[in-house]
This record gives sequence, structure tokens and C-alpha cells, in this order.
Amino acid sequence: MTKVTVHPTGEVVEVRDGETIMGAFYRTGYAMRIGCKRGGCGFCKIDVHDGAFEYERPVSDEVVTPAEAADGVCLPCRAVPTGDMVVEFRENSLRLVNPLMRYMLSSKEVPARPSHLSTTV
Amino acid sequence: MAIMRMGYAHVRVTDLAEARQHYTQTLGLNEVAADGNKVYFKGWDEWDHHSVVLEEGGVGLVKFGFKAQYEDDLADIEKKAQAFGATTERISKGEELEVGEILRIHTPSNHIFDVYHEMTSGQVDVGNVNPEAFPRDLRGVGAPALDHALITAEDAGLMERFLHECFGYWTAEKVATSLDPADQHTIAVWMTATTQIHQLAVLEGPQSKLHHFAFRLEEGWEVNRAADLFAMDDVPIDVGPTRHGITRGKTVYFFDPAGNRNEVFAGGYLSFPDRPMVTWTPDVLGKAIFYHARELNERFTTVLT
Ligand code: FES
Repeated sequence: MTKVTVHPTGEVVEVRDGETIMGAFYRTGYAMRIGCKRGGCGFCKIDVHDGAFEYERPVSDEVVTPAEAADGVCLPCRAVPTGDMVVEFRENSLRLVNPLMRYMLSSKEVPARPSHLSTTV
Repeated sequence: MAIMRMGYAHVRVTDLAEARQHYTQTLGLNEVAADGNKVYFKGWDEWDHHSVVLEEGGVGLVKFGFKAQYEDDLADIEKKAQAFGATTERISKGEELEVGEILRIHTPSNHIFDVYHEMTSGQVDVGNVNPEAFPRDLRGVGAPALDHALITAEDAGLMERFLHECFGYWTAEKVATSLDPADQHTIAVWMTATTQIHQLAVLEGPQSKLHHFAFRLEEGWEVNRAADLFAMDDVPIDVGPTRHGITRGKTVYFFDPAGNRNEVFAGGYLSFPDRPMVTWTPDVLGKAIFYHARELNERFTTVLT
């Protein structure tokens, strides 16, 4: 399980294998500034200070330009960490909206979603 | 009459296989052709060859097609568009799959509008003789047809004049800073050339961007059912199901797999050229757009592709 640490607050969220950064934060009681959730609008951009990720789907150069990508700009709705990361959210867009979920999920192992419920695309 | 309707939306998608799944299995359009990196679709109640073109590579709008009633309309609209100061070009028959000669207009909003009179025509899926109400084997939402679109432009008032002068559109509804036409700044317009309440809307914003393109449904309950299907298929819902104050239509906004915003839209009242234009003031913009919640989320006005 990889960890994403939020700069400068020091919050830590555990990310399951194959899970996006957005998915991990939502699962653990947070909300963030999100648009299409599909890597198309660039509304969710965050800045990576440390660590690496890969996108689970192709992301257009028009959404994250090569210069932005080189600067560590990342779309959390599509980015899956490949190791521990340190990231910074813009304009305080990250908010803890459900402290109970945060508490429960940080202290317990929750079974992954059964595969028969997942949608095939 | 010149422009009859918006004929097609041509958009870019990042992954054609995923987009195909969304437009055929979730929305229920029929795939009618594939050509290189493009796939063509139509709804069951459409008779022209296609109404949606998906092109792999990127995200956002390539162009819209508008169907003119008569062949001569192309020359007429060309003259008006050039007089307005827009750049035009002619595209020969066959360069766009199953489409006749095209008048391509680069609009003041930096969008591309293709005006054509001819497209290979067939029949709607229930046939033209003694038809049933709908095909029995609809998939997912079973969207019958493309309905309208919303684009953004730095000068919505300029686009209003362009669409009025070149397409013969009238403004059914608008959001403006004042009720006095001599002293108003236009924030958004909903325009049409038929009884369809809007064919194209323009919102003040960046040039050349797409806000959404919409599919028509008949009844409000179908909009709710569509939202259920989006939940089943993990389609991100932007807003709804709800009703618009503007147009009175029932709606759900959602995103395709590339992040282009789609809508399903049902109802709305009939438009006529002699019906007085409805004006909304910016202080009730939330209610105008989302009648029930009466507030706009940040995403709705800023997320564009
Ligand atoms: S929310 Fe649109 S790119 Fe992430």
C-alpha cells in the first residue's frame, strides 16, 4: 500500500493498488476540487513535490502540457501512485468532509469492491 | 428557413474503445460507421447518417454540423457570414463521410461550424410506415437524437448577432445585466430557428470551448432513469436530475470517458419567432440554470473541454 502525504499539512492517505489519488481521498472522507473525473478538464490539477505516478488512462497534452508535466503537475482523478508521494493541493481545495470515514478507514482493512460489481469498459 | 437543426457534434476522445462503450451501451446510440480513428453514431429516431462523430486523440470539440433546408442556403449563409467578417471555406462533397458539400465557417467564437444540405439519409429505426413508439431492443438510456449544445465565447453578444444574422436564429432566452437592451451586457443566450426551445446556447467564457452537447429525451422520468443508469455504469454525474429555469427542461449533466460534458434533456416549452424573449437577470442566475437548488456550482461554469 502506497502513501500520499499532503504538503504542508502532513495528512497521510493510504492508496490501494490500482486506486487513483482522487479515489483514495474520497474513500477516506475527503472532498476536493473535481470537474469531469475523467482526465479531460484539468480542473483537479495538483502539484507533485516528491514521488511518481502513472495515469490509468491516456491524458491529453492539451490538458496537462508537457511543460506542466515536467513541473510535476498531476491529475489526481487519473493518477495512480507508483510509490509514496508528497503532493500539494491548490487553493486549499482539499477538505476533510467526513472525519468518521477517515477514522474508520485509517484503522481498519476494508475489503476491496467485489469484482462482479465493477463495470466493464 | 435556412438552418433546420444541429446535425452533428464532432468531438475528440482520449480512448475510442471506452468512448464507444459509453455512447453505445450507456447512451444507447447506434454505431453506423468507423473510418480510421473516427467512429460515427446516430440515435434511433434520427434518419440522417450520423449525429455524433468521435475522433481519437485529445479531448474537446472539433466542430458542429448544422443542416440547412435548401441547397441555396449555403451560398446565402456564406455571403452573410463573410459580410459579418467570418472566415469561410468550401469542403467538397465526400470529404466528410456521407456529407455533401460543406460551407465551413470559422465563427467569431473560434469554433468551426459546418453547414450542409445533404447527408446520406435512411429512416428512423422504427421505420416510416406504421411505426411503433420505440424500438424494443434499446440499450441503456436509448437516446433518440442529438438535441442542442452550449459553447463558450468571449463575446456572447457578438455570437448572438452572428447567429441571428447568418443562421436566422432568434433568441428564446438570455441572461443580461440589464432589462434595457440599449444598456445591457449579454452573459448568455439560448437560440433557435424552430419550435425547439434551443439549438445552440452561448455562454460568456473562453473562445473555442465546449460546455456540453445534449441528447433529447421525451419525458422527465426518462431523465431520472438515465441518472440511475449513469450510477450503474460509473459515469460521473455533474448535476441533476433537476429542472432548468431557463427553457424549463429537465436535465442531467454527466461526463463522457474523455471528460466532455454531455446532457440528457427532456421537455421545455415551444419556441416561436413572435414569442417575447425571456430575460433573466444575473442575481437569479442560480435559479435560472438550476431551478430547484437555485445555486450554481463552481464546476458548472468553469469546467470546459
Ligand atoms: S477532474 Fe477533470 S481532469 Fe481531473
